Amino acid sequence: MAVFPSQEWFDQVREVFNTHEEYHGAGGGACDTTFAVKVGDDIFQLVMEGLECTSAARVDEKSLADVDFYLELEPEEWREMIENIKEHDGADLNWTLNTLDLDRDERVAKSVTGDQYREDLFFRFNQTLQFFFDASAKIDTEFGA
Amino acid sequence: MATSSRESKERALEKRVADITPEDIPEPKLNWMGRSHQWGTRVKAGKKGMTIAGLNVGYYAEVPEFWEDQTRMPRGSMAGRGGVPPIGYSVRHKHELWADSAGDLYEEAIQRRWIPSSDIPWESLEPLPEVVEKAMCQLCTELCQHANVELETITSWQQQLSYGYHEVKMYLATESFDATRHFEVFRKRALANGGGLGLESRGEVNRMILESKGGWTETVAVLHLLRGVFTHTIYRHGMKFAHNAAEREIFARCLQDKSRHLVYGLDHLKYAINHQDDQAMILEQVLAIGERFVLREMKDPVIREALAIILGGGIEGARTHGMAAYDHLMGDYFRQYLAWCDWLGLSRRRTFPEELKTYLDK
Repeated sequence: MAVFPSQEWFDQVREVFNTHEEYHGAGGGACDTTFAVKVGDDIFQLVMEGLECTSAARVDEKSLADVDFYLELEPEEWREMIENIKEHDGADLNWTLNTLDLDRDERVAKSVTGDQYREDLFFRFNQTLQFFFDASAKIDTEFGA
Repeated sequence: MATSSRESKERALEKRVADITPEDIPEPKLNWMGRSHQWGTRVKAGKKGMTIAGLNVGYYAEVPEFWEDQTRMPRGSMAGRGGVPPIGYSVRHKHELWADSAGDLYEEAIQRRWIPSSDIPWESLEPLPEVVEKAMCQLCTELCQHANVELETITSWQQQLSYGYHEVKMYLATESFDATRHFEVFRKRALANGGGLGLESRGEVNRMILESKGGWTETVAVLHLLRGVFTHTIYRHGMKFAHNAAEREIFARCLQDKSRHLVYGLDHLKYAINHQDDQAMILEQVLAIGERFVLREMKDPVIREALAIILGGGIEGARTHGMAAYDHLMGDYFRQYLAWCDWLGLSRRRTFPEELKTYLDK
């Protein structure tokens, strides 16, 4: 069982996302972006190329300047989101990235550079990103203390 | 008599053909061969395949500041045939239409295309309370009009845009098709669940966009920034409040398309502002006028009430939290609109209409 957040967890989700046919066409097809996921002090950089998530790697805070955008929630919110995805085999409408981004005072999708073109990739590939996290329903997740 | 005359002509023709010798056939001149600015070009496909932007190498990468030609000559080919009637393109300066991202957006649009008839799980539609269905159909009617205004506006400008900037023309062709798809999908939603199309919008903003003739850049400002951000915001909230998987998929797909449209708009406006004196001041004036149209149209209760019912889950819900949710939606719209104006360096906050400012805190 993989612990969220960890290298192992992202690699397992990548494996599901990259190998399950239903995720490939889902959301619209090819997706090219580099983004990060920030969970407390833990940051992971993910690279989407074509129909696959080609890499996930732990990075430091400075690396946020290199990504198109990053997704940040409180660790407890990440946990609730992932549990919701597991329960419903995909996020229900209260826990999609879009809803989370709409409902919170502080946005989920952020950019340290303020580059609107790159930040907009969150919306242009929104469904593909959603399907990436939805793929976590197919693995067993343990949450760190 | 007539038959005899025809036979006579045919015999004469046969004789002329029989008399032709190889010496009578003109030697091909082939003087069109080799007329190329850069022969021997071999573009290789990159990680994303053979992309339109990837073709911009050597001579073919030169995108001029002004496109002299008034014909359909592809950029990089040789001019000078003479006698080709001019088309009369009016948008010939790069700063009037260019966006660096246009080629990539074109590729993205054709790679991520979708089909409303088969990509939407229409079977997931279920009967809704009658007032909610009526509100949903009214919203679909409004969104059909957003889409057909986008389609007509872009297509009416296409013939004015020079071929020197084919990336932009190609990208805008995909945006026209996206708009067609959005028109299609909202019409289908309205007619697929026991309802039907609703009331036509008063269309003051629609008319302002369609009648924007000052320049393509000014049209982009009202179509992509002023209207586009509103449509984008409705798609985001529509996805959040979807009643079933079909609606969720409709709004999600449209949101991705609309986000691409906004990027072209932002990218072009940034380019125009950075390359043309006074462009920012002109756009500030255009947007100030447009904001008044938005304000005037907001006094029409139709779309406000329909959205409040959808967001509130019914008429009772509309009276309580639905109207607050509508105010929040409009707040999201104006906050995003002003944030992008700020990013573009357009001063809109100080003279933003007071009535619209009230939404910024909601």
